[in-house]
Amino acid sequence: MSTPVVFDPMTLPSDDNVNAYTFCVELKGSQWFLQKGKMIAYYGQIDFNGIGHGRFERLIRTSFHSPLHASDWVVAEGSGKMLLADRAFDVNSFDLEDGNLTIRAGNLLAYQPTLALKQSIVPGFLTLIGTGKFVAASNGPVVFMEPPLRVDPQALVGWADCPSPCHHYDHGYMKGVMGGLRSLTGIGGTSGEEHQFEFVGAGTVLLQSTELLMPEQATGAVPHEPGVPGGGPGGGGQHGSTPRMPGQLGDLQRRFGL
Amino acid sequence: MPFREINAKMVEAVVGPGQKMYSQRGAMLAYRGDVSFTPNVQGGQGGLGSMIGRRLAGEATPLMTVEGNGLVMFGHGGHHIQVINLAGDTLCVEADRLLAFDGTLQQGTLFMGSQGGVMGMVRGQMTGQGLFTTTLKGHGAVAVMAHGGVVELPITPGRPVHVDPQAYVAHHGDVTNKLSTALGLRDMVGRGSGEAFQLELSGNGAVYVQASEEKL
Amino acid sequence: MFRLQGSKTLAVDLTGDAVKAKNGSMVAYDGQMAFKKMSGGGEGLRGMVTRRLTGEQMVMMEVKGQGTCYFADRASEINLVSLHSDTLYVEASNLLATDGGLRTGTSFTGLRGGASGNGLFTTTVEGTGQAAIMSDGSAVVLRVTPQYPLNVDPGAYIAHQGRLQQHFQSGVNFRTIMGEGSGESFQIRFEGDGLVYVQPSERNTVGGDV
Repeated sequence: MSTPVVFDPMTLPSDDNVNAYTFCVELKGSQWFLQKGKMIAYYGQIDFNGIGHGRFERLIRTSFHSPLHASDWVVAEGSGKMLLADRAFDVNSFDLEDGNLTIRAGNLLAYQPTLALKQSIVPGFLTLIGTGKFVAASNGPVVFMEPPLRVDPQALVGWADCPSPCHHYDHGYMKGVMGGLRSLTGIGGTSGEEHQFEFVGAGTVLLQSTELLMPEQATGAVPHEPGVPGGGPGGGGQHGSTPRMPGQLGDLQRRFGL
Repeated sequence: MPFREINAKMVEAVVGPGQKMYSQRGAMLAYRGDVSFTPNVQGGQGGLGSMIGRRLAGEATPLMTVEGNGLVMFGHGGHHIQVINLAGDTLCVEADRLLAFDGTLQQGTLFMGSQGGVMGMVRGQMTGQGLFTTTLKGHGAVAVMAHGGVVELPITPGRPVHVDPQAYVAHHGDVTNKLSTALGLRDMVGRGSGEAFQLELSGNGAVYVQASEEKL
Repeated sequence: MFRLQGSKTLAVDLTGDAVKAKNGSMVAYDGQMAFKKMSGGGEGLRGMVTRRLTGEQMVMMEVKGQGTCYFADRASEINLVSLHSDTLYVEASNLLATDGGLRTGTSFTGLRGGASGNGLFTTTVEGTGQAAIMSDGSAVVLRVTPQYPLNVDPGAYIAHQGRLQQHFQSGVNFRTIMGEGSGESFQIRFEGDGLVYVQPSERNTVGGDV
């Protein structure tokens, strides 16, 4: 029989994982940004405040540049140890050193204010810039790969230091014949793998081991301006996001594995 | 070709020229190199007739052929993946639990009713799987999905294993199956409910059980 | 004898003795087993009536026999707890199995339910023996001492044991403008001496479904 490990404020790790699903942050009069509802327990004196709180104006000016997410985030400050977790997904911390990393908005749990958070030009993704630590959740452990690589959009957690991905469509699918025929006859269906994100150049791509997305966090809308992906007339969908090709049912298709 | 387990929820396979593998559609996570994914219009190896047979049998899990030259990573739905290596024996597995398998393995369907008689038909009803179970035979690797990981239980002569049909994932070896019910279990869950039955596996082999009663 | 097979399957070796387990959680067994439904939590008719009133749902079965019985429930992680003339307080939905000799009951736990959506009553397991509790992701066991009280999100709480007082705290950190709550406004504060089990997941949060 395995006896469970009992933790107290002294034995809890400082800014490290307690187990695969739980991360412990130590605050010594310092601050962390964290997504609402991800703190499961804490020892000590810690205050949690919505980032709309006026006192944080300076902090937010330097470290938080995503007005669309303002209501999803809080600032934790004080001293003590707090445990972070997210629906039993794997959590891990990552260190950035004068770097940049783009991550799916729903995967980011918490970050140090020494990092600046900005919205990525790719809808639904956030970019962290600077030096510091952040904590991210993923469905299964994160796997690091180097380009060149094509990734199923749903398995993508984020990428660091490499250029933003482009869309890749399978050649056979592009011919349109297969897709059209299948959608008419219902025989065969599509492989569900006609479309990937393609990464080229130097950098690191972060994958999660599953195609089941963590429920999408509200990422709001980008400003409706010409030239902004997803922000064009018609509320996006035309230019920025994936064009829906004939024979492709989008999410439904993937859900049913057609 | 063997699967390399990257972690509990992801496997990696190297595809080379002249090699072929099958995977559940939409189960590719990422790939490198020149690899193509073709939906199986012919439904496995048995041609169109066989595919329709499969539809009727409720074993219509759509597959795709993976060919080319490169590296492919598979995973699906956050499910745990168990790699089972076959050395000439036969694996029985519910089709919707197949993530990917070696193209050299011989596919077939097993009519569970032939072993279990009338009771076998009940089994089909209660698992919602139809009466057919997919069989894979030969030398090669199979990646199977399970909710919450699997436990492998050995089956030895004189020591049959009883499995909740909802937790059953796969079995291999020289094993016969039949339905049985344990003392008191039928009264407990209510008459007519399939839960009152267990799959009794006896013979020589192993059964894989998942840590959950949830279907995929 | 309880042992874990992996982290999500509980194997119980039985030699004619009995084990109480959540109804329907048996996934496999070898040997001879008999299953018996237990009314209420196993404390007879009176217990059942109490349960009806308190709304704490727990349907258990008694498994008796020779061999090994395997239990699992919705791929939850399983944590073993040893009790030595001790009481374990656990949310009914998180209790998987107990030794046949342990007594189960219900206890009033205060106002926690207001936020978590759980009842005001919690299942108690008393005596000497082993119990298996479930969590969504492996649980973290945290010690509470008089110097170190602990604050827990109600959605992440699964169980505690020892001499603990719990207070439901609301609005302590509820500072807001534009109607934005901090999301961590409702907490349970544990004081005293004992252990608290938390899971790396929240059943439901104040902000709704995450």
